[in-house]
Amino acid sequence: MNPDLQQYVNQHLVERLQIAYICVDKDMMVCDVSKNLKDYGYGDVTNGVNVEDYVEFMVGLDTSTALDLPFVTSPLGVPVSVSLLPEDGKLMIMIADASEHYEQRQQLQQKANENELLLAQQNKLMADLELASKELARNNKQLEEASRLQTSFFSGVSHEFRTPLASIIGYTELVSQKFDGDGQEKKHLRAIQRSSKHLLSLVENLLDHGKLDANEIFIQPKSILLNEVFDDVGIFLGPLANAKHISLKVQTDFPDHLMVTVDASRLRQCLINLVGNAIKFTDQGLVTLKAQWSNDLLEVVVQDTGMGISEDDLQKIRLPFWQAADTGKAGTGLGLTITERIINLLGGELKISSQIGKGTTVSFEFLAPLSISPETLPASKLSATAPISNTKEESQVSLAKDNTKKTGKDSKKYKGKKDCKVLLAEDDYDIAILVELMLEEKGVGVTHVENGDLAVKTLQDSEFDLVLMDINMPVMSGYEAIKVIREQGNLTPIIIMSASALDSDREKAMKCGSDGYLVKPVELSELIAMTREIVSKTSV
Amino acid sequence: MVGDFAVGKTSLTQKFVNNAFSEKYLTTIGVKIDSVELADTKLIVWDVAGRDSLSPINSSYLVGAAGIILVADCTRPHTLIDLAELWEVVQQRIGNVPATIALNKCDLSDWKVDDALIQQYESRGWNCFPTSAKQGAGVSEIFESLHQKIR
Repeated sequence: MNPDLQQYVNQHLVERLQIAYICVDKDMMVCDVSKNLKDYGYGDVTNGVNVEDYVEFMVGLDTSTALDLPFVTSPLGVPVSVSLLPEDGKLMIMIADASEHYEQRQQLQQKANENELLLAQQNKLMADLELASKELARNNKQLEEASRLQTSFFSGVSHEFRTPLASIIGYTELVSQKFDGDGQEKKHLRAIQRSSKHLLSLVENLLDHGKLDANEIFIQPKSILLNEVFDDVGIFLGPLANAKHISLKVQTDFPDHLMVTVDASRLRQCLINLVGNAIKFTDQGLVTLKAQWSNDLLEVVVQDTGMGISEDDLQKIRLPFWQAADTGKAGTGLGLTITERIINLLGGELKISSQIGKGTTVSFEFLAPLSISPETLPASKLSATAPISNTKEESQVSLAKDNTKKTGKDSKKYKGKKDCKVLLAEDDYDIAILVELMLEEKGVGVTHVENGDLAVKTLQDSEFDLVLMDINMPVMSGYEAIKVIREQGNLTPIIIMSASALDSDREKAMKCGSDGYLVKPVELSELIAMTREIVSKTSV
Repeated sequence: MVGDFAVGKTSLTQKFVNNAFSEKYLTTIGVKIDSVELADTKLIVWDVAGRDSLSPINSSYLVGAAGIILVADCTRPHTLIDLAELWEVVQQRIGNVPATIALNKCDLSDWKVDDALIQQYESRGWNCFPTSAKQGAGVSEIFESLHQKIR
């Protein structure tokens, strides 16, 4: 190299840029070094030593290797760039400070890598989330299935219990009618009836509880005459209050013919439960059911003069299966829980206040929108509805109000023209005999067949005023039979008598062409009332 | 030490050389060189910057290597797959040298390996070791295994 140029290079590269160098021969022995080598931690490298013993990055390399290592951490921890330049069998090792460039690169690379890691983490979380979501959906499906199975189990159990209970209750009623007076036998029969009915209410409560848990109770608001619901409570529970020698007052503060949109059967169920409870826990005095309606809001209050509930018990009373230990009253401990949950479904909230020895007040309110105002109701509708006084002492209401008594034994009252003929399709022999006995007692002629197919055939040969149809029967189910009967153009009224109390079964039955749906055990009064209603409609 | 970025090459090296571990991630730029005595051998460990989306591995840092430890982070499955590509770079630059594989971060719950891929790597003569730079599991084994192959 030109000496001037050599000097220039030395000055610029070695001094200004602080480049250090080591020159090694073909045997890797050091033959020249720059003075500033010590600045990079290679101060021990001197002429005559083997470079591999002092410079770690040189281990494994040879003099013919041209190499550029942009960032190598020196023994002092300073990042340096290293260039290996072979020349004439020798190797020039150039070392330069790379701190500044290293810092910039480090920051840039650190951010880029962290971002990429975050992105990967995010993707992973998203994938986990998706998996969790799928897992959740699968679990939900399993839970739904479990819940469906539970409801199905409750429904099945309920069905299995209802059928024999229907027999027990019905036959007990029939036998009971044979005994006059208040003898021992009559008392025993009443005990059987009480126990059977209690068992039935347990089954019904368990079914409702299961359905509420499975979200399978649906509120189905329809336009109804509000007074009728409260009237029913008086009719159902008046005799119970009478038997305990306490008064039951039903006070309604709304027009007699007020039509509102509400699920009447669920409201009735709640009222019967709350008033029934009040009667159960009141041994003397009065139970009052008050209802007030204004601006689409229905307010209900049930008051009693019973034993009251302690503060401690008030906290627990809403828990399922809980019963006060010292009341001596039998129950499932489900009634209030179910009622409260149904009131919630109706859009209300159950409030309970009580004082020991002074009685209990329960109340709730919910929206029951006006459907037809009394002013817009047609005159015929008004006259068709029996007037109901706003305040009634139901305990004094005569049982003559009961449809059973009104219809009496004369079947002609159903049609007013001829003897009533009923076709009964029922595979359970005990139930069939019971219904036959009950209806024949009232002067109704009953033809019994054991399955749907026989019902279809019998209807082709003879005329009937009414068909009573069970659902689950061998050969042909009730649903199928009704379908065939209707397809054949036969419009004889059909009432389904099913042991299933599920709303879905009720709906299915109504859709398949039946005119009514009764749940076993069928009360004679219920059967007669429904028969009367259907036959009178069809005979108009 | 060769592998994708953030697989734990520096952590494994530091654990082996200095018995130290840090949770903090600090990306390596270029190469960090450390040495350690192993039996009668002085191992000089080149902890090479990982491959990332901005830059491929600089094969200059591989020149002169007597053996390679391929490192994968088995909580990021693609880093194990990527070893095959990285090996291509190694092979093109320095030919077939002994290698072992560190299946790192085995202390983490989402660590998992593709058994078929491991079998494939093992059939190339690479010993695979689950390692945890954090807990020290498999760390000395991986270096000792490579040391045995290099000797």
